[in-house]
Amino acid sequence: MDNFASLMHGFSVALTFHHVALMMGGVLLGILVGVLPGLGAPNGVSLLLPLTFSMDPVSAIILLTSLYWGALFGGSTTSILFNIPGEPSSVATTFDGHPMAKQGRATEALSFAFLSAGIGALAGVLLITALSGWVAKFALRFSSPEFFAVYFITFASFIGLGGSSAFKSIVAMGVGFTLASIGMDTVSGNIRLTYDFDVLLGGVSFLIAVIGLFGIGELLLTMEDGLKFNGIAAKVRVSDVLRTAAKLPRYWLALLRSSIIGIWMGITPGGPTAASFMSYAMAKRSSRNPAKFGKGEPEGVIAPETADHAAGSAAMLPMLALGIPGSATAAVMMGGLMIWGLNPGPMLFTERPDFVWGLIASMYLGNVVAVVVVLATVPLFASILRIPFSIIGPLIVVICFIGAFTVAGKPFDIWLALAFGIVGYGFKKLDYPIAPMILAMVIGDKAEDAFRQSMIFSQGSLSIFWSNPLVTSLMAIGLALLLLHPLQLLWRNARRLTAARAARG
Amino acid sequence: MVTRFWAETAIALFTLAYGLIIVRGATEFGIGWDTSGPQPGAFPFYAGLLVALASLGTLVVTWSKRITGRDTLSAVILDRDGLGRVIGFFLPILGFVLLCATLGMYVATILYLLFAMRVQGGFGWLASLATAFGSAVAFYVLLERIFLIQLMKGPLEAFLGF
Repeated sequence: MDNFASLMHGFSVALTFHHVALMMGGVLLGILVGVLPGLGAPNGVSLLLPLTFSMDPVSAIILLTSLYWGALFGGSTTSILFNIPGEPSSVATTFDGHPMAKQGRATEALSFAFLSAGIGALAGVLLITALSGWVAKFALRFSSPEFFAVYFITFASFIGLGGSSAFKSIVAMGVGFTLASIGMDTVSGNIRLTYDFDVLLGGVSFLIAVIGLFGIGELLLTMEDGLKFNGIAAKVRVSDVLRTAAKLPRYWLALLRSSIIGIWMGITPGGPTAASFMSYAMAKRSSRNPAKFGKGEPEGVIAPETADHAAGSAAMLPMLALGIPGSATAAVMMGGLMIWGLNPGPMLFTERPDFVWGLIASMYLGNVVAVVVVLATVPLFASILRIPFSIIGPLIVVICFIGAFTVAGKPFDIWLALAFGIVGYGFKKLDYPIAPMILAMVIGDKAEDAFRQSMIFSQGSLSIFWSNPLVTSLMAIGLALLLLHPLQLLWRNARRLTAARAARG
Repeated sequence: MVTRFWAETAIALFTLAYGLIIVRGATEFGIGWDTSGPQPGAFPFYAGLLVALASLGTLVVTWSKRITGRDTLSAVILDRDGLGRVIGFFLPILGFVLLCATLGMYVATILYLLFAMRVQGGFGWLASLATAFGSAVAFYVLLERIFLIQLMKGPLEAFLGF
């Protein structure tokens, strides 16, 4: 009941005219960011973040999370109408969404996508409401070794569960860690790794990395494909939306299953992209007529959309309660929290309950606002994509570099953003995962601090990570995740060998 | 044009070099262990080492696939047309950043958008000029007037007294 009272208090914080207006503004900006190629959710949040430095943190986080919801919705719009995913997490929506649109069922596809996305997000927020207080209370028992163990689990799961090569995940993560350690060392006060360049004294901001990697890198990739938008016009009529909504309960099983997958992938750092693909695959496998998938099956839209949004909102739980972001966008927001002077983690619940519960309440409201706004503005945003890319592309370039400069007002940062753009293009081309790199940049310092503080407690002995049942089990989970991948490979090879031997007879 | 094999090799060599530079830089701050735990250089040292080793891993995987000949490493991942488009998009961006650093962001924005629209996009002068100047004014109003954030300025703004 505790949580319920806090939530009601949260609604009283979020339900002011000022905050609802910020939600609508954030959602509109978010849809724009989600619709335009090269401007995804992490990038949009990074570009907007410097403008929130002077705002009150509650308003700032409401604006940024609303932008995030909007971007997720915008990404699905382009997937369905243009067969171009505006966000990596809406790739799976193209499989059935675009065929539906081509068959003249664009409105149906869009309504299914938005409504199921709203339901998925709601499932994520309900979970946060129910569990976050409890997780935070549990985490209050954590001290440095336990925190380090939790960071360790986060990074181990990227290597163990990541889709791409483990070597590439390690490279991406290690690059993030080392970039985070440039500049002032918070434990000893030394200046590290500046190689006598004064511009590196302040360190390398993760915001610049996000703008370069996700913005410029993505644009270069888009340009290479010689992008052509061949959209399908859509008019959204209220009667059509209602008719689709009436069909939605038929898909309750898909909604439930996808919500669970999404929530799981959001809490563990699998992220929305992995969640949407997994949910699509599960829907297809468990369907009575899997042959229909890929040809305009509504369930093929509902499954990835629900999981995508459930993961997006559930990713806020570990960020708020433990200080560990579950996705690249959550990582950027968490960096924002630290810049606003808040300390994400269990203490936040006791220190700033108005912030935490205001944010959670705003997630309920923000998603409702987002569904309404996105349904009302689809034709408008679809028409934006009819503007030739030779205008939009350069404009996004200008926005990215001006955004990079506004982060800290350092001229050097625009060169850095350019360098990150080239690296991002190369990394994306060869399937290096970028999210772990951003996560490592944001929490690399915290992980290092936690490790070194543990070492100060134990006078330099690693045994502190096995000193009590809690930290031991956390470390064991981390090690298991880390070894999961190599063990699977060994298992598969062993099976292949025995199979080959059996075949030879 | 560019095959997957060479691209993989080039990026892995790049990250290998990066890892080694970090390892070298970290040794300046002590990478050992004393009674208060690891010294300041230890964490970057091992992270850099990990990057270097994993890059070597990618190199080994890439080259062994090449030698055993089982894979699609010879597949072209960037053809001539694609490369042309990427360079055609990238060079103006490089020019834009150079102009930002020398003439300030407003002048750079106007010149870059004019070039991209008029020369590369084939739009008329009127549309190009309107977009370029409109964008610069929009940035000025939004950032300097509403959010009070100063952008990089150059000699032109100094001459005009901004």
